Parts: sequence; structure tokens; C-alpha cells
Amino acid sequence: MQEAENIELYDRRWTLDYPELGTGPVSIEPYLSQEYFDRERDTIFRRSWLNVGREEQIPAAGDYFVQEIPNCGVSILIVRGNDGVIRGFHNVCAHRMNKLVWTNDGSCQTFSCKFHGWSYDNSGQLRGVPDEETFFDLNKKERGLSPVAVDIWQGFIFLNLDPNPEETLLEYLGEMGDRLAEFPFKDMTACYAYRGELKANWKLGVSAFNEVYHVAFVHPSSGNSFRDKDNMFGRPLWAKLDKRHHTLSILGNPDFKMTPVEAVAGSHTPQVSQGGVGSGRGSNPSGAKDWSLDINVIFPNFFVDVASGWYFTYNFWPLAPDRTFYEMKNYYAPPRNASERFSHEYSRALLRDILHEDLHMMEQTQAGVASAAGTARRNILLGDSEVCVRHHMKVVNDHVGRTD
Amino acid sequence: MQLPQPFSKLEPFVEQWSLGTERERNNIRITSTMEEIQEFYDAMLSQIHDALTYLDSFPLDDMPEDAQKLFNLTLSLAEVSNCVERFGEPAVPNGFDSARFTPFSPYGPIP
Ligand code: FES
Ligand SMILES: [Fe+2]
Repeated sequence: MQEAENIELYDRRWTLDYPELGTGPVSIEPYLSQEYFDRERDTIFRRSWLNVGREEQIPAAGDYFVQEIPNCGVSILIVRGNDGVIRGFHNVCAHRMNKLVWTNDGSCQTFSCKFHGWSYDNSGQLRGVPDEETFFDLNKKERGLSPVAVDIWQGFIFLNLDPNPEETLLEYLGEMGDRLAEFPFKDMTACYAYRGELKANWKLGVSAFNEVYHVAFVHPSSGNSFRDKDNMFGRPLWAKLDKRHHTLSILGNPDFKMTPVEAVAGSHTPQVSQGGVGSGRGSNPSGAKDWSLDINVIFPNFFVDVASGWYFTYNFWPLAPDRTFYEMKNYYAPPRNASERFSHEYSRALLRDILHEDLHMMEQTQAGVASAAGTARRNILLGDSEVCVRHHMKVVNDHVGRTD
Repeated sequence: MQLPQPFSKLEPFVEQWSLGTERERNNIRITSTMEEIQEFYDAMLSQIHDALTYLDSFPLDDMPEDAQKLFNLTLSLAEVSNCVERFGEPAVPNGFDSARFTPFSPYGPIP
């Protein structure tokens, strides 16, 4: 009975629920153009809420990290003050604008500028000015570090470079934020992370992880739990497109037989291929049968993909039209013993190997797109299983076209 | 004697495979032959249940030296299993360059 329901589901064409998306070809210009890239910077990255980390990174007063936003050319200091509040500041001294903090992270009561020694406390107030009496009309209270809007949702730290953000973070996250807030992120604080620079446009990165159509071909053996006989090519179990963000629920084959080592790992902690495992809070919103995980894309560049008992995130930071800095973080409940740590290591290695397949493919796609630029056919086709690719490209394009 | 006594059969693998970091384990995986990987995999798989049961009696971040050596071997099994069970090759076929995708710990090291 249940199976029959999934088969009916596969006849749905999710794209048609959103007429504004259209069904036509999509231009490759956004993957190549410097002008488009610059417009993305001004209309998206300088105005959207951007995830920069989690609050567990800076648990104690004075703990800080520095986040560069490369396409905007800015460096931001995220710091927990002695009052426990996490704030963001432009990482720039208020004297002659020297870059204030040169390390990636650490803990600090007082940040001292390396140029002339001006010092700031960890809530951004200017505290010390060497030879202060030689300055004219200096009001130390008004010459603290320049604040940046920072807010926290479910432990995730976001910033917004807009001096007056159009929406609060909660408003920005909208319905998806409400739904995902149920997921027990706070219990999963063991984090295994990878990063690297990709020779591909940031939206090709987002697109590559925004559909399951590719899995049978890019991940013929590593992703074989994401299909079954009724759904070989990644048709959605559920797709929900918000104003900017979206969710795609994907299949896990309940009859998939784990490999020998995976079965050992799977007897201790949840694994990638454990399809059919019941979903918990904040996941599988449609209650689909044989669910494995939800892809959640928080516009513009942040993935929060939730599975049963673990989750992973991606951040894409544009560097140039054809270069992107990419980070993935893979989260579990902290391992209590060797068996659990071993099982995390299995899952970490499998996910990393899967990503190796995606990342290599992504660079080949960038090369292909660049090569196609000189031809008459400067567009791509998207099927219904790629509805989230279409949505992301559309939302980016709508932003880039904004004139306000 | 390097490994705890019940696991002495794994002794020949210690030098090559008992490695403390993901980078070392990944590097030895992609530079080993499938014959070496298969031999290590087979030996480890036959004792993995017993090894994990044995290791679970120690605190994860404070194991005796011989137990830690064994534990590092189990982590190398996690690293190489895809070569045997999925890819049939040491490196990921059509994969990204491992040296360009590196691990980091945003919240400090996990034992
Ligand atoms: S620029 Fe920082 S003290 Fe002068
Ligand atoms: Fe993929």
C-alpha cells in the first residue's frame, strides 16, 4: 500500500506547482559573467543573512573567530563578549583602518591594533589610545569597532552586511526556519569538517547538491542506497520552494544491504545508507515512506541537510566567477566510546569520498560551461527532478535584477 | 609487543596502518596497492567486532598506548573499506585530488 503511494508521488511534476519558475532552458551566463558576479555581490551577499559558523565555536567570553567574505572584500570579527553576547564587527581598527585581528580564531580580552596600539575590549568598545592627548576631539565612546548585524538561530551564527537589514534573521528564514528548528542540532556537536577551493562557479556547487538525478551516474557505488527499482533517477519524495529557500526530501532504499564494514559502523551510529529509518523532529516534513534525508538550502549559499540522527552543512563562498571556497561540516552526537568514534570515521570517509566524486564532476561542468560559451547553445535544460536547481537559479536571477 | 595480546595477529599491519590522523590514513590508502589494502581489510574485518568491544572499555581520549595503536588500525579500516567494498581501487574513481580537500576541526579535535 505504502509503496503504491510512492509510485503515485513519482508522477507529480513539482515544477508545475510554481508557475513563476517556468519550464524553459536556463542561461549559462550566471556561471561565467564577471558583471553578473559583481551584481550577486551587491544584491545578494551584501544584503542577505549569511551563515558563518556555530556558537559552539566560541563557547567562552573572549572567544572569537574571523570570517572573510571574499567576494565582498570584507573581514568580520565574530566575538563573544564578557557579557556572553556574540557580536560581529568589521575587523578594522577605527584609527587608520588597519586590519585588526590577523589570526583565524582564538580567545582575547583586549584586541590591540598592530599599527599604533589602539585597543578594544571584546564588546567592541575603544579602551586604549596611546598618547591620547595628542588627538583632537576624540570621543572614545563613538570610536569603537563598526558593528555588523549578527543573529543566532538554533546555534547557527549568521551575519548580514547590510547596515539596516530588511528583515530579522527569523523573518528571513521564514517557514523553513520554523520547520527546521525542531531538529536537535544542539545534541550533535561532534563535527568533522573539510574545505577546499573549487574551480567552479559557486552556483554550480549549489546546483550539484540540489538534485538526486545525478546520483546514479556520479555515485554509481557510493550512492547506491539513494535509489530503488521504482525510483532510479532521483525523483523527489517531496519538494517545497519558499520565497528564497527550499527543501527536497530524498529516498533511501529500505532494502539496501549494507557492506560488511558499513554494517559494523551502522550497528553503533546512523549511517549514510540507512534509508527507511524513521525520521525525527524537524525532518521528512511530508512523512514520506523510505525517506533518507532532506536537502535544505538556506539562500544564498548554505545547506543544512538533515538525516536521522546526524546532519551536514555546506557553505559556498564565491571567490571569482569560476572559483569558490567550499566547506562541509558533518555533525553527530559526541562519540562516547571507540565503537562510536570508529563508526563516525566510517561515515566521514564515505561522505568525503562521495564529495570527491561531486567536486571533480563540478570542475568538469565549469569547464564544459566555459567551452559552451562560444557556441550558439548557451543554456541548460532542467527536468522536474532538478526543480531546486531551477529555483536557486531563479532566486539569484531575481536578486541580480533588482534595481532598488 | 605492540598490540594487546588478543590482537597479535594484526601486528604485521601496525607499521603501515596504525596512523593517528585522517590525513595520514587517507594518504597511505591512496598510495597503497589494492593487494596491500585487501590483505589489511581481510585481517581487520575478521577481528573488528572483538577489537571494538575491547577498546570500548577504555576512555576514548585516554587509551593505553597498545590500545591506541589498535584503535588507529580500526580507523584505517574505516578509511580503506570503500576501496574494497565500493570502488575496487585505492583512490576514488573520477575523484577530486585529496590534497585539495582537507580536514579541519572548527570545535577542536575529536579523539
Ligand atoms: S590603525 Fe590601528 S592603531 Fe593606528
Ligand atoms: Fe552528488
